Amino acid sequence: MNMFLHELKAYRKSTIIWTASLIALVILFLSMYPTFSKEVEVFKKLMGGFPEPVRKALGLSVDSMSSILGFYSYTFLYLTLCGAIQAMNLGTSIISKEVRGKTADFLLTKPVTRTKIMTSKLLAALTCLVITNIVYLAVASTMASFVKTEDYSYKIFFMLSITLFFVQLMFLSLGVIISVVASKIKSVLPISLGTVFTFFIMGMFSSATGDAAIRYITPFKYFDTSYIMKNSSYEGAFIIIEVVFIIVAITASYLLYVKKDIHTV
Amino acid sequence: MNVIEIKNLTKSYGKARGIIDVSFDVEQGEIFGFIGPNGAGKSTLIRILLSLIYPTSGSATIFGKDCVKFGQEIKKEIGYLPSEVFYYDNMKVIDLLKYSASFYKKDCSKRIVELAEIMDLDLNKKIDDLSFGNKKKVGIVQGLLHEPKLIILDEPTSGLDPLMQQKFFELLEKENKKGATILLSSHILGEVQRLCNRVAIIKEGKIIKVDKISTLQEDNHKKFKIEVKSKIDDSYFKIAGATNLEVNGNIISFLFKGNINLIIKKISEIEITNLWIEEPDLEEIFMHYYVKED
Repeated sequence: MNMFLHELKAYRKSTIIWTASLIALVILFLSMYPTFSKEVEVFKKLMGGFPEPVRKALGLSVDSMSSILGFYSYTFLYLTLCGAIQAMNLGTSIISKEVRGKTADFLLTKPVTRTKIMTSKLLAALTCLVITNIVYLAVASTMASFVKTEDYSYKIFFMLSITLFFVQLMFLSLGVIISVVASKIKSVLPISLGTVFTFFIMGMFSSATGDAAIRYITPFKYFDTSYIMKNSSYEGAFIIIEVVFIIVAITASYLLYVKKDIHTV
Repeated sequence: MNVIEIKNLTKSYGKARGIIDVSFDVEQGEIFGFIGPNGAGKSTLIRILLSLIYPTSGSATIFGKDCVKFGQEIKKEIGYLPSEVFYYDNMKVIDLLKYSASFYKKDCSKRIVELAEIMDLDLNKKIDDLSFGNKKKVGIVQGLLHEPKLIILDEPTSGLDPLMQQKFFELLEKENKKGATILLSSHILGEVQRLCNRVAIIKEGKIIKVDKISTLQEDNHKKFKIEVKSKIDDSYFKIAGATNLEVNGNIISFLFKGNINLIIKKISEIEITNLWIEEPDLEEIFMHYYVKED
């Protein structure tokens, strides 16, 4: 418990900043909706001027965008990007920060098992993400009900929003396994930004080319917003892959961390 | 009873040398010195004892329990002071110490204040703002606050001023009297000589000698320098045990190892004007071991 609380405290500032950024983004995006929905015809014409691959890459399909859910799901791509960076940062730093800050000697000479250290740290990171998502969801829901022009399905709105959390979980696990495998990470940001943007660009690529295979690789494409809106459900295959990936990554992280030599720096 | 038992411990880091086939025991209640030049493997051994790294082969037990398997249990009774102390920068000293104490299931708040007073440490400062020496003090308090039965120190005095070193040594001696066993790694001979009962000398990953400090000193040559009134026969001191004989005018010098009475008798039979007998200091003993054999 002491480690968990210590970790939570350590992430307090960054969690507040990331949550605030997400909130600011969703408020900004949704506040544009009323204007956008009024001028949808003008926008349609403007978009028609773009080549189709560009529109696809950006996730713009003008027809669906006139509804609030369609508009929201378009902007959501960028919200997930923001959330993914937060999760990846968290995941990459939980183990590597002890090595970088040279505090590993302090923590690992205390009477605790490494498994317990890992669990406390993971739970703390998870708690940060849950808090972020709860606050985000509350603000996004309120904002959506303010700007809506017609009624929409809250269930689908919720289902779309919560995919932020699912994507974050994948990046969190990815970050953790990277930080355990790498012997020393000098700086978290280049690794987390690099990874997240690589996947993000791959996602854009897959939209532009319509390549289905890439969808399995990039977490950004695991939750197809138009599929969710149409079917009010997620695609089972991707849910299974996600769960398997997270279990494998976290289990491997535990096994590696317990066996790892902690060297002086 | 042995607090630490190390048997044929080897740790290899791929190409680089770690430690090779190290074996020795540390008895309950003793202050054991562990000495060797930089990079000889002192920290490697200590990190294995603390299960920060895992041995390639061999075994190490503390309190009769295997270091790797029972790490968590053993560490309840170990206090560790690393050679370089680094702590969570954004914390206050007192918060860090409380966090440290929270890992042990006892109330340490009184002891924290007590130790901080002895070490003259300001508890309300941020760790970030402390000097190297003061950070070291945080490390000392952190390592001792739970009254461990085994104290492991890795080059403990670097960064402490002489007065603080003195206080720290007194503190260690007090803990030792209360029953704590101490393992101290160092490359500073003075502090080992000052504190330790026994010492292990490590060189290039191998233990080359484990002995009592007093035996180490006894077991060595004494330096004789004699000034005689009138020139004597060059071979007068050529007896068993005497080496490096040098005659320089009226001054004769040689190294002697063996029964000291023999040499005194010899000296009493001649007229001398001055006599120097020097104990080789530890420095010389260790240099003897340190120097690489080619």
